[in-house]
Amino acid sequence: MARTFTGALRRRTLLASAPLLAAPAALRAQERFPSRPIEVVTHAGVGGGTDITARMMMVQAPAEFGQELVVVNRVGGSGAAALAYAASKPRDGHTLILVTQTHLLTIMRGRAQGIAYDDIVGVARATEDPQVLMVGKASPHKTAQAFLAAAKEQKLKFGTTQVGGVDHLAVFGFARQAGIQQPTIVPFRGGGDIAINLVSGNIDAALLNPSEPEAQIRAGDVIPLLTLHEERIATLPNVPTAKEVGFTSVHATVRGFAVLKGVPEDRLAILEEKLVKSMSSPLYRNYLDSTGQARSSVAGRTVWQAQLDAFNAEGREALAALGVAR
Amino acid sequence: MLEFLGGVQAIMTGELLLVVFIGTLLGIFVGALPGLSGSTTSALLLPLTVTMNPVTAIAFLGAIYCAANYGGSITAILINTPGDPSASVTAFDGYPMAARGEAGRALGMSAVASTIGGIFSVLVLVVATPLLSRFAYSFGPPEYFALAVFGLSMLGAVGGAGALKSLIAGCLGVLLACVGMDLTTGVERFTFGLPDLTDGISFVPVLTGLFAVAELIEQATRLDEKVERLPMAAARLPSVADFRKAGKSIGIGSVLGTFIGVLPALGATTAAIITYNEVRRFSRHKEEFGRGAIEGIAGPEAANNSAVGGSMVPTLALGIPGSATTAIILAGLLVQGVRPGPHLFTEQPQFLYAVFGSMLAANLIFLVLGLFLAKLFAMITLIPNAILWPAVLFCSVIGAYAPNQAMGDVWTMLVFGIVGFLFRRHGFSPAPLVMGLVLGQLVEESLKQSLIIFDQRWMGFLERPVAVTLFAVTIVLFVLPLLFQGYRAMRARAAR
Repeated sequence: MARTFTGALRRRTLLASAPLLAAPAALRAQERFPSRPIEVVTHAGVGGGTDITARMMMVQAPAEFGQELVVVNRVGGSGAAALAYAASKPRDGHTLILVTQTHLLTIMRGRAQGIAYDDIVGVARATEDPQVLMVGKASPHKTAQAFLAAAKEQKLKFGTTQVGGVDHLAVFGFARQAGIQQPTIVPFRGGGDIAINLVSGNIDAALLNPSEPEAQIRAGDVIPLLTLHEERIATLPNVPTAKEVGFTSVHATVRGFAVLKGVPEDRLAILEEKLVKSMSSPLYRNYLDSTGQARSSVAGRTVWQAQLDAFNAEGREALAALGVAR
Repeated sequence: MLEFLGGVQAIMTGELLLVVFIGTLLGIFVGALPGLSGSTTSALLLPLTVTMNPVTAIAFLGAIYCAANYGGSITAILINTPGDPSASVTAFDGYPMAARGEAGRALGMSAVASTIGGIFSVLVLVVATPLLSRFAYSFGPPEYFALAVFGLSMLGAVGGAGALKSLIAGCLGVLLACVGMDLTTGVERFTFGLPDLTDGISFVPVLTGLFAVAELIEQATRLDEKVERLPMAAARLPSVADFRKAGKSIGIGSVLGTFIGVLPALGATTAAIITYNEVRRFSRHKEEFGRGAIEGIAGPEAANNSAVGGSMVPTLALGIPGSATTAIILAGLLVQGVRPGPHLFTEQPQFLYAVFGSMLAANLIFLVLGLFLAKLFAMITLIPNAILWPAVLFCSVIGAYAPNQAMGDVWTMLVFGIVGFLFRRHGFSPAPLVMGLVLGQLVEESLKQSLIIFDQRWMGFLERPVAVTLFAVTIVLFVLPLLFQGYRAMRARAAR
């Protein structure tokens, strides 16, 4: 009896004092955001490409935010675990998701447990790695025109990663836009495997980020034919863009920061500003340069959100056409 | 070779040697701890290396990589918990030895075999990288398929539980490898709608469950037994006779490990498993395997460390990493502005030789540390079971959770703990299951990829010389012992 009484009493005191405590907290929150360490959730394991991007960005970020940043690795379900983790946190801007196209695909396929595409709010883009059409040195098609002409006549073999994954969709979209036959897909575990099989001639072509087979391109074992980007890439100045050859096809591997819908507008603006600023540091620029990605990779909300929207629209259509949507 | 000595000289600065020493010590430590691996550690320290000069940075990461592979064997031997997946095979024979009170002998052998394997592969790296790197190009899906079949051909023989039981356990392993999203169709298999299973069953929790948790349950059933322990024997290092016996195994392990390490799609774990099979196949004491054969430690340990040097070949010469850790080392190289590729060998040989030199130094450092610490570590086996095993379980849970931060992995570990316990009770060995799990994915994916490449013509395999050679070796090695047996039986009958 006595215990319940004290319990009730304690609760009441707490309730009574709550507004007193909350008022300055709210004030402080308006003055200062972030007020505690920011978590950056990634679906990549420690050491994965996305994880490394997060860690490179974070070298400068704590100084900008005046708070620590912590990488949280939630591997599993192709981004579903990372999204679920973010959804379990308050939407106050202290939880950032490092979003890739893989996350969007997972949402499109209805595997993100209650998270819809509209819940994703882009904050800043971190990397944009254009896709480039490449062939092995033994390929009979040495120019983009010759390759496209041949690909209209016959069904070629393209190396990609996971069937139904981002690379597969890019190949599908590219083939449609270029008006070539939908190629046979040979899936591999990663870009390195694809590069090796291009050299040995097991596959006819692949869409790869220019940094993946860099050594092979330098050695002349892999030949880049066509850049699927708005403009030519600095490291491949002699490779024409799709537009120059006569059709529009833009595909890239992108990573960037996002939050879940519900974060106040003023906080979004702070996040955007400071993230973009910390990714303009020499160290991060050096990271972009050394991995062959353009410095224009870093972009704010408008550009990033538009790109996410475009991928969402294209991806849905492609998944339906491929019959892998669920 | 002269240039190489120049590179070794370059490393002899006190500062670099200190960095390599720290890296080695750190590597042994994280390698031994389940849940912290060499790849996790190098990823966490990658931003730190950005501020170092290129040689120091890569020497540091390289030292962690070399030492972590050795460190994994320490816990595999002492408490049946492979600290690193590549050390899982070491537990097959290492733990029975430790349980017999010969922990020091097992640990000492692991240190020596690891060092020999490591140094062998670094020497191969120095001499033959440009040559070997082209070799990676001749390995496509059909060749990997042939290699996986070669590895699986010994499935019935490992474990020492009889061919039928080993095959059953092996098939279970292959079946487990099927769980997750299928690479070639994008369809989820056996996931029961659980997001934790989409990417397949993680390897580390299965190992920890099969080995450590199963052992804990086993120990719990024998609480009232008093175990007689001989403190002095536990710390004894291997004798000259041991090394004579294990020499052939170390040789097989060093060569196979380097070869498999060079192949970008395969790493130290596969190297150790295939070596274990081959060491057993060519051993005169087959019956000892699985019960504490010193050759069963020497071969795989030489192999997983020589795979380290091997996997640096495609990383440095092709820019294609052969393992999780080399992927991080590659990122470290790129951030430092070093572009990997064949040109590295002509343009920046000094840099390369300094890296090789530091790997060599790391191997020697962990040999000294390993032998010195073996006596100390061996004392762990003297801790009473009632204290030791609960502590192991505690570490295992953290170890299973940490890499992916997923509770699903902890459940997996506990389930496989029960599976491992039931296996023992009914005379099954976990060895073929582990083998099936490691090689199952490779055998399935490479077969499907091959058939797509061959336009579904099975005869396509016959047009690939490397694959045909591997198939032929598999068949010969599989059939020869049967023929020998038949021949011997016939002679015995004739003599009678």
